[in-house]
Amino acid sequence: MENPISEDELIATCGKVGKILLTSGAETSRVESTVEYIGKAAHFDISCHATITALFVGTNQQSRTHLVKVRLGDFNLEKVDEINTMSRKFVEGKINFDELKIAINQIDHKVIDFTWSQKIFGAGVVSVAPMLLFKATWADLGLAFFVGIFGYLGAQLAGRRIKTPYVAAGCGGFIVGLLAAALQTVGIATSAGNIIVSALMPLVPGVAITNSFREIVDRNTISGVVRAVDAIIIAGSIGAGVVLGTSLCSLLAHTIGGF
Amino acid sequence: MRVLIEFVISFLSTVGFGLITNVPRRSLLPAGITGSLAWVAYYLVLQVDPGLILPNFTAAIVIGILGNISAVLFRVPVNIIYVPSLVSLVPGGILYLGMRSFTLGREAPTSQYLFNTLTIAISLAVGFVVAEVIFYRIKPILMKIVTRRQSPSHS
Repeated sequence: MENPISEDELIATCGKVGKILLTSGAETSRVESTVEYIGKAAHFDISCHATITALFVGTNQQSRTHLVKVRLGDFNLEKVDEINTMSRKFVEGKINFDELKIAINQIDHKVIDFTWSQKIFGAGVVSVAPMLLFKATWADLGLAFFVGIFGYLGAQLAGRRIKTPYVAAGCGGFIVGLLAAALQTVGIATSAGNIIVSALMPLVPGVAITNSFREIVDRNTISGVVRAVDAIIIAGSIGAGVVLGTSLCSLLAHTIGGF
Repeated sequence: MRVLIEFVISFLSTVGFGLITNVPRRSLLPAGITGSLAWVAYYLVLQVDPGLILPNFTAAIVIGILGNISAVLFRVPVNIIYVPSLVSLVPGGILYLGMRSFTLGREAPTSQYLFNTLTIAISLAVGFVVAEVIFYRIKPILMKIVTRRQSPSHS
């Protein structure tokens, strides 16, 4: 039986699928299984090995392997969902391979995003951490809502302009630290520490570190360790940013108070 | 009353993180409910056992089971439910505090915070494993209900 799908095309498409999934924050085991499902549906014996930094796709009949380089990205779970929907349709035979290819290309280039105002609202709500309910005062939590928005915006805007990794997180931390310390110095806020912890919730890599342990438990040790180290360094740059921000604020307060 | 406030705030937190991480719109509500129920479970267990391991472990089991169920019902990958609903539980704040003490050169709090981070992350991860084991027991029953609506997913 002649297979209508050429091997090279299939491998290239699978590589793209894997790349989108990995950069959008899917787990490696999920990436591998999705790619292998697509291969099986196209009647090829495909094997895929994914780590967090690279993706290998190849068929088992021959020796060539397709290598895709991946960089760690932000979460964009809607892309994960769309790819999943498409691959499921393909596996169930509702769309053919050409349609799948077109859809994948579209998803790759499409900017799927909520609007800025929605995201700002989201960042604000996340900044009111349930962890601190009844520990911090309500006024502090209300302030954290706004400080968190500024921190998130700072990190996002810095991330767009500065390509050096980890600087964006540091900027976010700096803004949060500066604002919280300033609020306390002026006398509006009761505890800068509570505001900082609460307002950093959208920035800190807590979910990343939990996912990394889920990967380790799943025996994807390399990806898990890479994610964990990345999360620790992000937290470190946030911490450094906050320290800089608060000390800048106390420096300013000293200078102004000295006059 | 207090439980209700905790429920509402954690619901908002989860939906907010869903907005930041771009989850598909149809999973915002199930993720929000999963996240807030998990937080309430965490809160209730915390009243009985004021440690780190048991509350987080229980909350992870709640997220794991509810997340898998809603993944089947709403046909989304399960990670899309997990990521936003974890946001109020994860040790992000503690990890930050640890790295801040590290920046300031204070060794004792650094090691304590980092150790707490490790404990919480591991209890959450183990909770998920246990939840998935439980879920595969109840999956056939769930599938029977779902197949009446449509064919099952491979999630």
